[in-house]
Amino acid sequence: MILSGWETVFFWFFSIAAILAGLLTVMARNAVHSALFLISSLVSVGALFILLGAEFIAGVQILVYVGGVMVLFLFVIMLVNVGAEEEGRAPIFNRPAQVAAALIFSLLLVVALLAAINKGYVGLRDRDAAALKQTETTRSEQESKMQTGATGVSRITTQTESVGMSLFTNASLPFEIASLLLLVAIVGSVMLARTLKQEAAADDVDSEVLGQAPPAETGTDNI
Amino acid sequence: MYKFIWLVPLLPLAGAAINGIFGRWLRFPEKLVGGIAVGTVALSFLISVAAIYSYGFGGNGLWPNPYVSTQTAFTWIPGGAVKQTLGQAAPGSGEAKTISIANQPVTVPAARSSLLNIEWSYQLDPLSAIFMLIVNGVGLCIFVFATGYMHDDPGFYRFFAYMGLFMFSMLVLVMGSNFVMMFVGWEGVGLCSYLLIGYYFNRNEAANASRKAFITNRIGDFGFILAIFGIIATFGTAQYTQVMPQAASYPIEMLGNWGLMSWIALGLMIGACGKSAQFPLHVWLPDAMAGPTPVSALIHAATMVTAGLYMLTRTNVIFQHSQTMMLVVAVIGAFTAIFAATIGITQNDIKKVLAYSTVSQLGFMFLACGVGAFVIGIFHVMTHAFFKALMFLGAGSVIHGMHHEQDMRRMGGLRKYMPYTYFAFMAGWLAICGIIPFSGFWSKDEILWRTASTNHIPVGWLLWIVGTIAATCTAFYMTRLMAMTFWGKYRGDDGKEARGDDHTRGKHEHHPHVPHESPKSMWVPLVVLAILATVGGFVGISTAFTGGKEVGGKLNIVTWLSPVIWNPSTKAFGAEPGEAPAETPAQTIRAGAPINIERQAEGGLPYGDTGFNLAHAVEAKLGSETATEWVFIVISLIVAGIGIGLGLLFYVKDTRLADVWAARLAPLYRASYHKYWIDEFYGWAVTRRTMDLARGVFNFDAKVVDGGVNGAAWLTRLSSKITGGTDKYFVDGLVNAIADFVVRLMSPIVRAAQTGLTANYALVMVIGLLLAVAYYLVKMF
Amino acid sequence: MTQLSPLCLLLLQETSGGRIAHAIEGVKHPDLSKFLVIAAILFIIGVAGVLTRRNLLVIFMSIELILNAANLNFIAFSRYLQDTGTGNPMAGQIFTVFIIVVAAAEAAVGLGIVIALYRNRETIWIDEIDLMKW
Repeated sequence: MILSGWETVFFWFFSIAAILAGLLTVMARNAVHSALFLISSLVSVGALFILLGAEFIAGVQILVYVGGVMVLFLFVIMLVNVGAEEEGRAPIFNRPAQVAAALIFSLLLVVALLAAINKGYVGLRDRDAAALKQTETTRSEQESKMQTGATGVSRITTQTESVGMSLFTNASLPFEIASLLLLVAIVGSVMLARTLKQEAAADDVDSEVLGQAPPAETGTDNI
Repeated sequence: MYKFIWLVPLLPLAGAAINGIFGRWLRFPEKLVGGIAVGTVALSFLISVAAIYSYGFGGNGLWPNPYVSTQTAFTWIPGGAVKQTLGQAAPGSGEAKTISIANQPVTVPAARSSLLNIEWSYQLDPLSAIFMLIVNGVGLCIFVFATGYMHDDPGFYRFFAYMGLFMFSMLVLVMGSNFVMMFVGWEGVGLCSYLLIGYYFNRNEAANASRKAFITNRIGDFGFILAIFGIIATFGTAQYTQVMPQAASYPIEMLGNWGLMSWIALGLMIGACGKSAQFPLHVWLPDAMAGPTPVSALIHAATMVTAGLYMLTRTNVIFQHSQTMMLVVAVIGAFTAIFAATIGITQNDIKKVLAYSTVSQLGFMFLACGVGAFVIGIFHVMTHAFFKALMFLGAGSVIHGMHHEQDMRRMGGLRKYMPYTYFAFMAGWLAICGIIPFSGFWSKDEILWRTASTNHIPVGWLLWIVGTIAATCTAFYMTRLMAMTFWGKYRGDDGKEARGDDHTRGKHEHHPHVPHESPKSMWVPLVVLAILATVGGFVGISTAFTGGKEVGGKLNIVTWLSPVIWNPSTKAFGAEPGEAPAETPAQTIRAGAPINIERQAEGGLPYGDTGFNLAHAVEAKLGSETATEWVFIVISLIVAGIGIGLGLLFYVKDTRLADVWAARLAPLYRASYHKYWIDEFYGWAVTRRTMDLARGVFNFDAKVVDGGVNGAAWLTRLSSKITGGTDKYFVDGLVNAIADFVVRLMSPIVRAAQTGLTANYALVMVIGLLLAVAYYLVKMF
Repeated sequence: MTQLSPLCLLLLQETSGGRIAHAIEGVKHPDLSKFLVIAAILFIIGVAGVLTRRNLLVIFMSIELILNAANLNFIAFSRYLQDTGTGNPMAGQIFTVFIIVVAAAEAAVGLGIVIALYRNRETIWIDEIDLMKW
């Protein structure tokens, strides 16, 4: 899977973009900016997915993450309005000692990871060198056999088809469990996000419990 | 077809199971519950009719041999080899013999030991056939009636589950092929009786009555189970088809000789007394009226209480081998008949009257068995099932129509409100009074005639007099019941109706307490039973009407049942060999009368001289047996007429006369009204003494046993205080000191790690991850 | 990248004994290891974000970053398996699908918790939410 030509250009562009956007996500003072940088990072990673030949996952990445999850994030950011942070009155990082410890350990971890990748990948490459070489030679030949799209330029791959096949043959049970998980998440988040008024209206909370609850109806409750 | 008889008990059980398990859970509507219950019983009835038809009248019917089901039989209680511990070896059984166990022939080495395996199989023979028809037929009528009577009862499904279970138990009782199965059914009906008497369990009197019935029945069951042990120990088997021939070969124990057969018969008689409410154990039956009226009709009049009669007839071989026990049965029967009849005269609760009437009629049946006329006893069981079920259902209809009013003093004049009930009840009344040609006449007259002409026991004439008086009383109190309930003026509504006030009469239609006719589902069974009570007696038509011959072939109950009855004259079952099947064993017994000298010489008088015999004395005067029978028929009709006439005189013609005579015979009236204080006596003699014993035992427990236990407890406390002190001040002190030191030393360090900040905890996770990767790297390099 | 002067390339190859040339070759033709390195960097950025930021929402976003790094790893290995023709090449993509599902569920519940927390404590700064030491 050695990339070449324009693929290389795109690879470097998007990987650097992903890393930079990720860094800015972590470092942005405004949470909204963080979210927007995270979106760029996710889009960039999605582009890397396309480079890796996983078009379906890339689509899912854009639709679910960017279109769904990140919009949710933005909503919540708007809901929990933290002005002090934006205005620079409050520090955005933890205490310096904590930050220092965290960065040291993170650095150690990344060094360890890179060392592990370096060491591990060498062995892997040597083992599979022959197979990779053969794939390299047959790859363009295979691609030329694929159907062309409506524009006559792009080729239609069978990746998505094989993802579907694999998903519904090898992983049908996890698929169902995932649907259940989503249901639970929906119900759970609805339960969590209710206001006290809504809880009282639902009539399943003891009035005693409500009576003991702190008087949270002072301005924040009408969210 | 008779191969399907195993379905007969199972169908009602299935219905009961469906209703009982799913009725509440799935909230079955009443129509479904009733449909399941009635449907299963109806199907069971049809199967039994078809089975009995093919058994008795089919092309290759098995009659008179009993049919024991083999397809569905299985060894229920495998017992292995047992030693027979009682009795002498039956003649001709000294060497090895082959018996059939679980349908396989097994050779048993010696006569004194055998393989006891209790089979679960059903037996179809003339006796069980009759009981199957009674139980299923009358049961079907009562089930239909109950769907109307129990309407809108919250426990509808429960009621029909119990009723179905009862049907199953009763059918196992009468269809089982051995004594142990009979016992299973016996206990099953006892249980269902308990459940159904206590059906209104929130009423105290019903709960008490159910317990009373259960406990009283237990006394009888105790005798019965001892008798079953005796039978197994004597004959080595419990299967009827094997017990009966063996029992027949034992010698007859005459009056005053008390042997093995008498012991077994005594146990059986105690059981029968309990179940059939005979004198010492009769107290539960009147109280059992606390249950719903269909229950009273089915269990406490038509079927369950006749289980004792079924058992007596089933074991007639054993009873006929003990003249003493025959006498006991007859005396208890006659005494119960008159005893209960006199109580019935003074009761005011309509169901109580019928309950005492039932006890009295059961006494008549026992009397019949005691004088050796088992067939007639069963005949009376059948006719009684018809007319007593009819009267109970009629009473139920009245109670239903009167809005649960049971006191007859508040009824009266119901004839115009409830015409169907009235006419049906009328048939029952005439039947129980013994008016020709209603069914009760045939059986009761035959009982009295057999009592007068018995050769089995002495003092037959005395028992005849007692029975005749009891019959008079029966006619009297039944007329009283009719008069107080249906004739005269309506006495409900606290006399408002009686005044005939125009205003009241105008609102008459809307008044909630005005009696009304019951729904169709209630009076149709009444009409069916009324027809049966009217014509049902012809299956046992008296020989006086037919020229001294039993007619009708197998349709005649006497002929039909004869294979089951042991004949002491010929020492064989059924009709005498060589004679036509139409000849009855009863006739053979009668043929052994003193005037037939030649028969006597042949050994036709197995019980010796029984002293003065009324029938024979009359016969000696008249010279003809038929004429003698006619004399007794006329006498029984006359006494019935006297009873009815007195009733009409007291309760229709001049209603004040009843009170006048009650005052004039005050001691007797009080005795009868209070049921001769039997309940009070039992309360004092049994219940109080049991309570005293219990209190004594309790005191012993409280003073002696508890004293010992408490002393031990005091010692334990003392020792525990000592060890506790040591522990508290010495061991704990040491442990606390060490623990305190360690805690003081370590806690600042551990506490520092707990910052409560999520980021710190996450950092620890990262460090863990780092260590994992580091381990991997170290392994690789 | 083909525009690079072959002369220059040759020069580099001569001077560094092949090491630099090897590195340039790696830059010109990125393979599996490059993807793994990018994923590792994204991962570590996410971890650092989780550890250092005070804003609960940003911490959540950092977690998404971590998850994405994992996704990238899976997809890269999936492609690698396709090329070598060993194993089940689709397993990585299937895993990614499930990770995205779990991430969505986690975001829904987590943001619900954030809202509930904000309602009760009126803060989303985790150094003020330190009840865990009790």
